Amino acid sequence: MSELAVKGVAKRFGALTALQDVTLTFRSGEIHAVLGENGAGKSTLMNVMSGFLAPDAGTVLLDGKPIPLGSAFECKNLGIEMIHQHFTLVPEFSVAENLSLARLDSLYSPIDPLKNSAQAILSGKDFGWDLDAGAKTGTLPVGVQQRIEILKAISGDARVLIFDEPTAVLSPLEVEELFRVLVRLRDAGKIVVLIAHKLSEVLSVADRISVLRLGKLIQTADRANVTARQLAEWMVGELPAANTLERPSEQGEGFEARDLVVLGDRGETAIDGVKFSVRRGEIFGIGGVDGNGQVELAEAVAQVRTVKGGELTWQAKPFDAEFPVIGYVPQDRQRDGLALGMSIQDNMLISALRRKSLFKGPFLAMRAVREWSQDLIARFSIKAGSPNDSAKSLSGGNQQKVVVSRTLDRDPNLLIVVNPTRGLDIKATQYVHDRILEARQRGAAVLLFSADLDELYALSDRTMFLSKGRLLEDTGAAALVGGEA
Amino acid sequence: MIGGLIVVLVLTLLAFRLPVGESLKMLADGAFGDKFAISRTAVKACPLLLTGLGMVVAWRSGMYNIGGEGQFIVGGVFGAAAAKFLAFGPHPAPAWVSTTLILLSCCIGGAFWAWLAGWLYVRRGVAVVISTILLNFVALQFLGYCVSGPLQQSKMQVPLTETLPDAVMLPKLSRQMDVHLGTMLPLIAAVAVFIYLYRTRPGFCLRLVGENPNAARASRIDASRYQLQGMMVSGALCGLAGGIEYVGIAGQLGTDFSQQWGFLGIPVALLGALHPLACVGSSVFFGALFAGSENLARFTSAGATLVYIIQAVAVLGYVGIKAYSDRRVAVEAG
Repeated sequence: MSELAVKGVAKRFGALTALQDVTLTFRSGEIHAVLGENGAGKSTLMNVMSGFLAPDAGTVLLDGKPIPLGSAFECKNLGIEMIHQHFTLVPEFSVAENLSLARLDSLYSPIDPLKNSAQAILSGKDFGWDLDAGAKTGTLPVGVQQRIEILKAISGDARVLIFDEPTAVLSPLEVEELFRVLVRLRDAGKIVVLIAHKLSEVLSVADRISVLRLGKLIQTADRANVTARQLAEWMVGELPAANTLERPSEQGEGFEARDLVVLGDRGETAIDGVKFSVRRGEIFGIGGVDGNGQVELAEAVAQVRTVKGGELTWQAKPFDAEFPVIGYVPQDRQRDGLALGMSIQDNMLISALRRKSLFKGPFLAMRAVREWSQDLIARFSIKAGSPNDSAKSLSGGNQQKVVVSRTLDRDPNLLIVVNPTRGLDIKATQYVHDRILEARQRGAAVLLFSADLDELYALSDRTMFLSKGRLLEDTGAAALVGGEA
Repeated sequence: MIGGLIVVLVLTLLAFRLPVGESLKMLADGAFGDKFAISRTAVKACPLLLTGLGMVVAWRSGMYNIGGEGQFIVGGVFGAAAAKFLAFGPHPAPAWVSTTLILLSCCIGGAFWAWLAGWLYVRRGVAVVISTILLNFVALQFLGYCVSGPLQQSKMQVPLTETLPDAVMLPKLSRQMDVHLGTMLPLIAAVAVFIYLYRTRPGFCLRLVGENPNAARASRIDASRYQLQGMMVSGALCGLAGGIEYVGIAGQLGTDFSQQWGFLGIPVALLGALHPLACVGSSVFFGALFAGSENLARFTSAGATLVYIIQAVAVLGYVGIKAYSDRRVAVEAG
């Protein structure tokens, strides 16, 4: 029986209190989930426990002995391993080479990757994983890459395994597989720590659950003694009211795609002849596992990507003749939505470059732009100091609000949203959902892409599933398995 | 930042075993001591500010233009070619027309040279850093060919172009000083670049493309259009720097026409944090160092070396500080 005890840990970043007097014990033979919204301090706590960050106050004890805080390398030698959300693998290396990185004696010793990785490959077999030692890591699916990451972590003499949001990148089947492994690691006597913000996942695998909110430990409880509702309340303080919007007033013919063919970035056929329609005042949901053509289809409809074949129509007329006001909320706000180095005001302006009231000829009407952006910040309750603050300074939820606000401000009558609440906390998710429902209410045709089934079914009037570039009817579970393939 | 550079300056002086106090005084006297010193500083800061602004525009659009040198040179060559028709042709144009058109040709020349690199990137994906560096060498050879070929002076003895008549040269404020009317142009350009980047729609799109081309694309903004625009404006500014050097100071082109002004624009832009108005300050700083070190060089062997060391440290320091602050932001966000 060993334990990792966190005692009175506090950490500040400038004006921000990331952790405040957190005391918490993790025991071997237990899967201990740390739950909290974005910005609750989960990652900071894990970084302290694994030696990446030195806290301002407090200690961490492994079996009663203090760990060398702030020294990740020495913590690793003690057997504290962190499996990061963003993998630490070298994409250009083979599986064997990546695995042998975990046990380098010194930088100058000769390396035989196959010999060094044999142990890890074998323990992989134990889990039922057949890894090709020679395969190039970067070409493998994320789920497999995560397995390599796990094997790397346990190949040393790991005693504590910290998983940082491990399910964020996985498909439902891969999540199940991961949880099976967590249970085996627990039964092998490891201290297993799981950071998460999805309630359902935590409830299905954890033995004990601790909830952080705004840097403070709210509660630690055994799985048997809590309900999802209780956990949610601990996480957010109070639950937002469920939305109570009525059916839209305006309905009618909207968007239609026929025999649509779209190419991907490498010239491959990403969308292979799909046909669907979205009426005004309707949310049409497209589900499926990421990477089955969602982004390509969304971009084609949003007129960002060229259409290879087929026809797009709005109110029964081709797009060239009858152009709808298109609003597009791309999937990855940091990659495609925002310019993080620019101000909030500038980021809002991205969607308003044709708005006459904000320009005098080619010149920006600075006062009008400022008033307009302040108005958006107020109307969409974005938590920002000033419109001139950089978008980088906003939390993930508020960054998404910037994208959503500037998109909806144009009153689009064709709205395309892709995984609009990924990585957002409960309140921000609720908020984005309400805005999407409002757009429908107003008579917009909404095309929703979501890999999150709860979201898909909560919002959509009709759903279909995208699998390998083709649309499948929603036939319940069968469609999902099809999507996995 | 400037404080750090002065520390570096002191350390450099110590490394060269120069008396720190006296040397600093000599530098200061050489840069700001009297009206002649100030004139020297202004004249050096002039091309620095223009090439620095050129770098700001290109880099803000995400195009890492290292070809200011080549654009400066080709600007000068285009200017000399224009002069050959306007000032030395059978029917010389009025002087002020010649001057204006020569400067305009310099802008066009620089813009054309930068456009080549921009086009190669937009159409063929050739890295701008590489193509602009290589085009610098092409420009240098092109200059060598022109001054000993089609643009060589009619006496045909040395590889130089004709000397411009005084009337065509930018008018000087006084006979003893180099300060000329063109010294105003970079200041006007700095304000114009500021307005362009921060107060107009194309400038906004250009910055957006530089900051995140994916976000631009998702909003149906054609990134390549603004990448080309950024390069051409950048080249035009560097070409104009060449023009002012030609019509303001040199009056003729030789193989040593550019004194690395194009390259020196990079530290000016970096020290100015890629902001057009801050570049006024950084160009004066470097201009003063140049003017001051000329004074210092009369008494010691260090001289110009000093300036180059300070510039190198400015670039490295900027990159270091930026990397450090980016990391801090990343850690705090995580």
